[in-house]
Amino acid sequence: MRKPQPWRLRIPAAAGIGVLLLCGAQLNGQMAAQRPAGKMVTDETGRRVMVPAEVKRIVTLAPDLTETIYALGLEERLAGDTEICDTPPAAKMKPHVGTPISPNLEAIVALHPDFVLATTSINRRETVDALRRLGIAVYTSNPHTVSGMLDSISQIGELTGAGERGAAVVARLRARLDALHTRLADLPLVHVLFVVWEDPLITVGQNTFIADALRWAGAESIILSKQNWPRVGLEEVMRLQPEYIVLTSAHLKAEGNESADLQKRSGWKELRAVELGHVAVVGEGVDRPAPGLIDAIEELAHVLHPDAFKVNSDHGKMRLRNNAEFHAAVATTKELCPCAL
Amino acid sequence: MRPLTPRRIALICGLLLAVLFGVVVIALRMGAYPISLLDIVMTLFREATGRRDDIPLEFWQVVFGLRLPRIALGIMVGAALATAGAGFQALLRNPLAEPYVLGVSSGAALGAMLSLMLAPHIAGVIQVGAFVGAAATTATVYFLGRRGGQLDSATLLLAGIISASFLSAAIMFLGTTMNARDQRGTAFWLMGDLASPPSFAPGWLFFVLLVTIGSIYTTSSDLNLILTGEQEARHLGVNVNRVKLVVYIAASLLTGLAVSVGGAIGYVGLLVPHAMRMLFGTDYRLLIPTSAIGGAIIIVVADTLARTVVAPTELPVGAMTALAGAPVFIYLMRRRVR
Repeated sequence: MRKPQPWRLRIPAAAGIGVLLLCGAQLNGQMAAQRPAGKMVTDETGRRVMVPAEVKRIVTLAPDLTETIYALGLEERLAGDTEICDTPPAAKMKPHVGTPISPNLEAIVALHPDFVLATTSINRRETVDALRRLGIAVYTSNPHTVSGMLDSISQIGELTGAGERGAAVVARLRARLDALHTRLADLPLVHVLFVVWEDPLITVGQNTFIADALRWAGAESIILSKQNWPRVGLEEVMRLQPEYIVLTSAHLKAEGNESADLQKRSGWKELRAVELGHVAVVGEGVDRPAPGLIDAIEELAHVLHPDAFKVNSDHGKMRLRNNAEFHAAVATTKELCPCAL
Repeated sequence: MRPLTPRRIALICGLLLAVLFGVVVIALRMGAYPISLLDIVMTLFREATGRRDDIPLEFWQVVFGLRLPRIALGIMVGAALATAGAGFQALLRNPLAEPYVLGVSSGAALGAMLSLMLAPHIAGVIQVGAFVGAAATTATVYFLGRRGGQLDSATLLLAGIISASFLSAAIMFLGTTMNARDQRGTAFWLMGDLASPPSFAPGWLFFVLLVTIGSIYTTSSDLNLILTGEQEARHLGVNVNRVKLVVYIAASLLTGLAVSVGGAIGYVGLLVPHAMRMLFGTDYRLLIPTSAIGGAIIIVVADTLARTVVAPTELPVGAMTALAGAPVFIYLMRRRVR
């Protein structure tokens, strides 16, 4: 019954597509950099980036980067940002390239950027790779500490020709942080549960800039995890009994009074902090490694350590002495949590 | 039914290739970056004649940097998955068999992830890992799906579903050891994502693809006989075990290849071979090449939709194929029951 099978039949099935495909196959990764000379820098993920001497059109792929660009006074040169960039409100009016996690590469190209800013905190590595293959300069920030975030702001300022403004912005922010230390240095850390997401309950790991921000606000996360955004059980929270629950206003907007809301929920209402009404709600800035983070840190510090902000000059002097010790402690912490990726 | 002549095979394949070409042209035209057909043709022409310097940089970036690699990747993944589906359907003698449903895609994904973790810097290691994962899962599902020495259709599908959920759990477990950034990338890749072409030389992958599809094709007349009954095929002189081994390795290789570059895109291996059977009949000599080309068409279409319907954001292409494929699966399952 078997029909003899002509050999030539086995070829057309494949060959036809083959010709068409192979021409497409050769196209990857040969996009040579034919751009004007600039400076070669290493970004925060250790990649070499050729940044044009004069950056004219910037696209940001995360809200914190957009905020930084505005803080640097570069809004004129911001060609586009993402759908979720809302700080400052003017950022909403810029052309959008999609979401940070899945931006449209063509939409980015269409804005003809000469400098794209990405971050490890919400962008995907694949997006950065794809843009680099197109010969677009992508600088990726990798925020793991508040101080690192400030360095990142001045570095981005340098690269975009706003070095002076960047230095000024960073100096102001550092001064505010220092003022905060002066007040909080010898106060005990408040143990908090930072809620990134409620259901499922997601909190922060030690190596995140949020955990670091908590330390600057005189607090410490009760969860010690090497994962950046660990999912934890309420039972674990119950066992550790945080002194304060820290929520961001972002995901509770619709719910009204947050602490009252938690008091009605089983699991949450049994927590001592909730019973006592120790629920701190901070601005969305705390989720973003950008200048607004310092606002959120101050806000949180005021809630957690109200006494420290009562006018009392004697205490201030005493604390100044401990400031150096605190800085040493922060430096040690940083060494223990290297921002490796 | 007309006899299957070489002429007819060539004619039908030619027709499908023409459709594929049309789809590729449309896909090249669609996208967030506005570029006219004329500009695309000019860009292609200038590149072909070696006058790259005349091409505006952005046209080059969009056409050669973004759209063509993505289309090429879609063609590769679609052809591989559809052919693998047709192969599994013959190997397991089950019309519902498909790499995704059988858990073979999940096995390939786990293999790829493991190999990437163990040896991250070796080119092609993902492909090897994905192949090993796919082959191991296929073997496992095959043996779990047997009942009293016979392959049982329902048991086989259950074995596939259970393997898939077990493997997904293992993938999730592995995911917790990754940093947040890689987790995000992995989540996209698992849903099936063609936006990021592989770093490993695509030319090689195409070569492997064509050789593997070709090797399944060489068994196609034997597969026709095996499908009428293994005993009968043996009596007619078919080396059933050899044919099965070839199809088993080839289908695993195709799944591994597709998953390693495009992630776990589901239901293509189901959708396409059945559409081709409805259109052109069940003869495997025609089914293999038409499935390969049809799979390429489907994925290019699905991916073009995935990157345009909710622009400027993109959907994973796996979401598009699952939307179309899952109802077809249910339809086929109901029809069999009756």
